[in-house]
Amino acid sequence: MDPTQFDREKLAAVIGKYQDKKWALIPLLQDVQEVFGFIPPESIEPIADALQMFPSEVQGVVTFYSGFSLKPKGRQVLKVCRGTACHVKGSRTILRMIKKDLGLEEGETSEDYQFTLETVACLGACFLAPTMMVNRDYYGKLNPTKVGAVLGEYRKEDKEA
Amino acid sequence: MKNIVVTINGKKISSPPGTTILAAAERNAISIPTLCSHAELAPYGACRICLVEDRNTGRLMASCVTPVAQDMNIATDSDRVREHRKNIVRLMIAEHPESCIVCSKGNRCELRKAAAELGVAETRLYPMPNYKPFETLNPFIARDLSKCILCGKCIRADHELVAVGAIDYSDRGFSSRPATLYGRPLEESVCTFCGTCVSMCPTGALSTRSEHYAGTPEKEAYTVCGFCGAGCSMAVGVSGGRVVEINPSEDKNTVNGPTLCVRGHFAHDFLLSEDRLTTPLIRKKNEDGTESLQTATFDDALSSVVGRIADIKRHHGPESIGFIGSAKCTNEENYLFQKIARVIFETNNVTNCQERNGASLLRRIDERTGGAARITPLSGLEKAEAIVVVGTDPEHTVPVAGYHIRRAVRNKTPMVVIDPSRSGMASFGGLWLHPENNEEGGRDAFRFAVDALGALATSIASENGADSQYIGSATEDPDGWIDSLSRENPDAHARAAGIDAAKIRKAASMLVGKKIALVLPPDLLERQFGNQTFDAAFNLALLTGSIGVQNAGLFVFTLENNTAGALDMGCAPDLLPGRRNAADPDERKIVEKAWEKALPETAGMGLLEMIEAAEAGTLKALYIMGENPLRSLPNPERIAAALEKLEFIVVQDIVRTRTAEIADVVLPAAAFSEKQGSFTNTEGRIQSFGPAAQPPGDSLPDWNILASLARKAGYPEQYTTIEKIRQEIRRIAPLYAAMGSHRREWLKKSDTGGSKRFCFAPPPGPEKAQKDDSFPLTAYIGNLRWHLGSGSRTARSGRISAGYGAGRIGISRTDAESLGIAIDDLPVVRITSATGSIERQAEIFPGLPAGFVFVPSGFSGNDAMRIADFNAAQAGGENGGQGWRTVRVRMETS
Repeated sequence: MDPTQFDREKLAAVIGKYQDKKWALIPLLQDVQEVFGFIPPESIEPIADALQMFPSEVQGVVTFYSGFSLKPKGRQVLKVCRGTACHVKGSRTILRMIKKDLGLEEGETSEDYQFTLETVACLGACFLAPTMMVNRDYYGKLNPTKVGAVLGEYRKEDKEA
Repeated sequence: MKNIVVTINGKKISSPPGTTILAAAERNAISIPTLCSHAELAPYGACRICLVEDRNTGRLMASCVTPVAQDMNIATDSDRVREHRKNIVRLMIAEHPESCIVCSKGNRCELRKAAAELGVAETRLYPMPNYKPFETLNPFIARDLSKCILCGKCIRADHELVAVGAIDYSDRGFSSRPATLYGRPLEESVCTFCGTCVSMCPTGALSTRSEHYAGTPEKEAYTVCGFCGAGCSMAVGVSGGRVVEINPSEDKNTVNGPTLCVRGHFAHDFLLSEDRLTTPLIRKKNEDGTESLQTATFDDALSSVVGRIADIKRHHGPESIGFIGSAKCTNEENYLFQKIARVIFETNNVTNCQERNGASLLRRIDERTGGAARITPLSGLEKAEAIVVVGTDPEHTVPVAGYHIRRAVRNKTPMVVIDPSRSGMASFGGLWLHPENNEEGGRDAFRFAVDALGALATSIASENGADSQYIGSATEDPDGWIDSLSRENPDAHARAAGIDAAKIRKAASMLVGKKIALVLPPDLLERQFGNQTFDAAFNLALLTGSIGVQNAGLFVFTLENNTAGALDMGCAPDLLPGRRNAADPDERKIVEKAWEKALPETAGMGLLEMIEAAEAGTLKALYIMGENPLRSLPNPERIAAALEKLEFIVVQDIVRTRTAEIADVVLPAAAFSEKQGSFTNTEGRIQSFGPAAQPPGDSLPDWNILASLARKAGYPEQYTTIEKIRQEIRRIAPLYAAMGSHRREWLKKSDTGGSKRFCFAPPPGPEKAQKDDSFPLTAYIGNLRWHLGSGSRTARSGRISAGYGAGRIGISRTDAESLGIAIDDLPVVRITSATGSIERQAEIFPGLPAGFVFVPSGFSGNDAMRIADFNAAQAGGENGGQGWRTVRVRMETS
């Protein structure tokens, strides 16, 4: 699937659940992001129409929350923790390693849309430092070998799927 | 609920619960500095500079968003408060670029003022200017968002006042800025360039682009806008005697509040156009035998006018002279103009330029309601129970009225839009009725409103939605229209209109039991099926008991600022001042007594009759004030040929128009901002104003010219002041009893309205638009928001022309495809009607139905009238007649 191809019917199905419910903007955006992996910019106007808002208002909400992205993300989103505890435990090296392994800078997505690399201020799991998340899974007490194994595992899974 | 008592700066103040501390303080003349607060916007609390201290608790609160609470002990100016305020301003300035010296906001910058008052000079902070790209691609607004302090006034004005939604905050923290959708430049967004945000912006982040002036104007003066019928109150910035900037007036209870539209805000640069007339001109022979217009003195020009017209009158009688007044000139001027025609030159051949465009509808409404519907405050739209918009987009014709409607809809007022085109209004939250099931939707576009209104009425009646008490007490139904409703099947009626039955039922359910504000297009009677549409709308209004009651009834937004006033002043062949019927001996006697002069009994010639009389050779002279018939009337070739035949033409105008070029004498006049007078706006308000700037060169206010002319013709009355003219108007036209006592006064309520019964119109006939294979498309000649009328003024605005000077023809995607037009290249197309043809670029107007073409008028080089049919103008939209604004055409690529 090429995430840059926008499927209007899929969007209409998501929007249909929230028609005319202005309060539902954030849950709706979360659903859209769940379905598409990001908020396709083309979806802003249909969403605004359905909730009787201005498109610029919807954009304002999307751009305010870092949890929403207007750019397509990879199937696996890596969030490397850059909090104090992780920093002390060497997260800088972990990040450098991952960058090198994936060939990505922070905020970038690989061309095949498998990986997106992000950093976060703290994942709230300092006792596992250094940590990262891949999609919804935590990986703690990281070291170079473990990072390599985790990334390798995801590459393998992705190929099989 | 009990009032709440607080102490502010030691003073006990009592206010109702919910009052903000800021409002309570301001009401008691305690001033608190603000940047993001505005009386017309909801409290927001963005800038925090209005913070105050509660001495009881030590809390610091933003006073603009904190309601008063019992026993608060507020200090608005303590050392602590000042210290915090200073810090806020220091932080704002640290982020602000140091470009004050070239900033056009100059001394009006509120941030600068706040800094000055708090004694903040050097911030002693590390400067961190937040540079953003400087946007100046559009000709109206310069956006320098590095100067933005994020007060959100622009965004809130956009959302709350004009309800367009072009901008909102985007991003977060340091990178947060007001942005359009996808961060596009303004001209690629839905922005209408009303400029409301520019007037609101406290800093130089948003400013007016101008080639003439940058900075603070020397002085500010009050005037009323000279463009559309809204008659917005404006604060005119003047420097060196010239108008250099316009903002909405800060007066209370104006029609526009803090808003304006693109014409009002930006098109005034036509005032500085090189085409302004600065001296009188007389046509004279040159040495080589040719003739040309040559500079003259006012004395010579007026002598020539009086001499020649008197001469023609002596030889050919008074009926050989015609007078065309102006819906752009003031009440006082139109009064003098028709008085000169009737008293000095003894003819009823006097009319005004809007006779066939707006005035016709005002007159029809007057006839049907006995004058009970002249006063229609636009603020009533926001209080209306329901709104029905019929075939017009006020956002383009009278934008300020459009804002009122949008605000009402944002406030959950039900709105039904009946329009074959998906206008901005149609896509704004209401229910849009259009001929979706009619493949010939474009051809039947103007029949559609008749059927849709009929289907609505039938459906409302079938749901027992008729206001029987009102119908019984206030109406008559000689043709049995209500009975005819019960014989109709609402679903069948809906199908005939091409609408799903369920949709009509839904629309009806939105309106049942409600008084309706019906918005009609000003040119309705000049459209195909115009009369039937009016009747259908009028019947629906009576059925729902909506006429003669507040916040409901018929709303007509006139295109020219003084359409109503010119009519009221008697610039009509059959009406004397005060809308007195010239044929009625009693009415005539009142005016005759006041003027001490016997008046002609028969009605004079109207606009089109004058042209025909000129063709026939019976009209010999024409005096045209503030009008350009060669550009504004249908079939300009025919008009030119007719005017050529005249012996003598006087044109009194502000710019050198096409008609001025063929005149024998040209008299240079002052524009609205350069004179004193009053306009009567579309809501029935008489709005008085004084001069704000100097008229250019020798030009004079029209009333001065007319007064000199009367003197020259030997008329004994000396009209040396506006007040003198007003006294006469007040005496003759009781409607204008309140004229001039304040800046804004309402027309007097009509006495006849209460006793008269309103009459239902007969059911419409079944005529449909005729199929015509040689002219398969329907064209509508209309205005887009950038231009007004024939464009004598707006097309001379450098800013408007730079942005929207092309006047592209709007076509539907279906038609573009079926004609094989490569629309992306903006191809030139030829539009041909039975009358003539025009060539212009075409583009897709996304909302248009197939078979429908939109021809904008008013653009530079406007030639739209070449396809309009003069004879259709004569007939109006009578009995399915074509009407001159709606034309059968074909389209080819050229």
